[in-house]
Amino acid sequence: MSAQPLETVAGRAADAAPEVRTPAAGPARDERRQLLLREREIAARHMGVPMWGYSVAALGGFALWVALFPLAMAGIIPLWLGFLVSATLATGGYVTSHEAMHSNIARKGEPLRWLNELVGQVSTIPLIFPFSMARIMHLQHHYHCNDPLRDPDYPDEAPSAWQAIVKTWLNRQPRNGGSIHHYKRILAELDSPASRRAQRDTALLQLGAMAFFFAMAWSGYALVIAAIWWLPRHIALSYIRFYLSWAPHHPRTKQGRYENTKVFKSRLGHIMSMGMETHLVHHLYPSIPNHRTKAAYFEMRDVLAARGIDVSPL
Amino acid sequence: MQQALKGIFFVMPLLFGIGFIAPVTAELIVLAGIAPPLALSPLAAGLIFGSLWGGYATIKGSWL
Repeated sequence: MSAQPLETVAGRAADAAPEVRTPAAGPARDERRQLLLREREIAARHMGVPMWGYSVAALGGFALWVALFPLAMAGIIPLWLGFLVSATLATGGYVTSHEAMHSNIARKGEPLRWLNELVGQVSTIPLIFPFSMARIMHLQHHYHCNDPLRDPDYPDEAPSAWQAIVKTWLNRQPRNGGSIHHYKRILAELDSPASRRAQRDTALLQLGAMAFFFAMAWSGYALVIAAIWWLPRHIALSYIRFYLSWAPHHPRTKQGRYENTKVFKSRLGHIMSMGMETHLVHHLYPSIPNHRTKAAYFEMRDVLAARGIDVSPL
Repeated sequence: MQQALKGIFFVMPLLFGIGFIAPVTAELIVLAGIAPPLALSPLAAGLIFGSLWGGYATIKGSWL
């Protein structure tokens, strides 16, 4: 994939955030226009870069994750090691699927589109979260970021980091009014073929996973399933929710293009927080892949500061 | 079909308690070398624990 023209870049930016709002005390209109042009120029340099690493990571990671089951069942690897590897793969899988959600591996009509979809599909299986549902919800998050009713990730909001971690688990309770109920309501409002497919895929994947859990558990491998799939999935979901949803969007009080996401310094660093310190760049330009958001941010930093964004954390 | 699926997902915590928590508990009991009360087998103890907790989660709507 080659560098893309600015018109395409601008179009994608507009797709991601149809309404451009700036902080009240921001620059004048002409200056804002100049800043936007500079911002787009920088963004264009980070789009269309090679993406094969995500495909290798997703497919290799999925193969390794599947292999953990026989390896643990045969006692070739200890359960604690299988657990650590599985939790890492389940968490990292969201990063690769996230690129596929934004069609950053290949867009519709491109020869490698099948690979984009395959990467998305396999990456979220350890989370028991079908790609069709993950994509539709994530795109809704971009369209309606921080909207209490229309942002699917809004239930992740909490006053503090510790409360946010606890809430990631509370939101997964069967009838707690958490994430899944928020998702269902948004899907019902969308009422599209894609939303119906997402609901069907979710039901099928959940039922299939539960059937596998029960069959394996009653065959004498209950602890293997608990250590390789059940517990890693819960830890990964909480980790993902915390770093991809709560940390960059807290306190979720503003919805403007330059206000709905913040720059923050992670205690665990850039890689362990899955690149979310510079998630603002992703919300401005979703076509910039995850591994380039940090570089794009530091090139864009002055422009963002001139916009009135607090860039002091990084 | 939709109603049947709704029904299955409504009782899923109970099914999970019997289908997954029970054998996990039984394996943990064996691994820890604990003798269940009332001379119950590890699996019987797991089934009682799993079905009670799963039933509670089904009624309450929360595992807590």
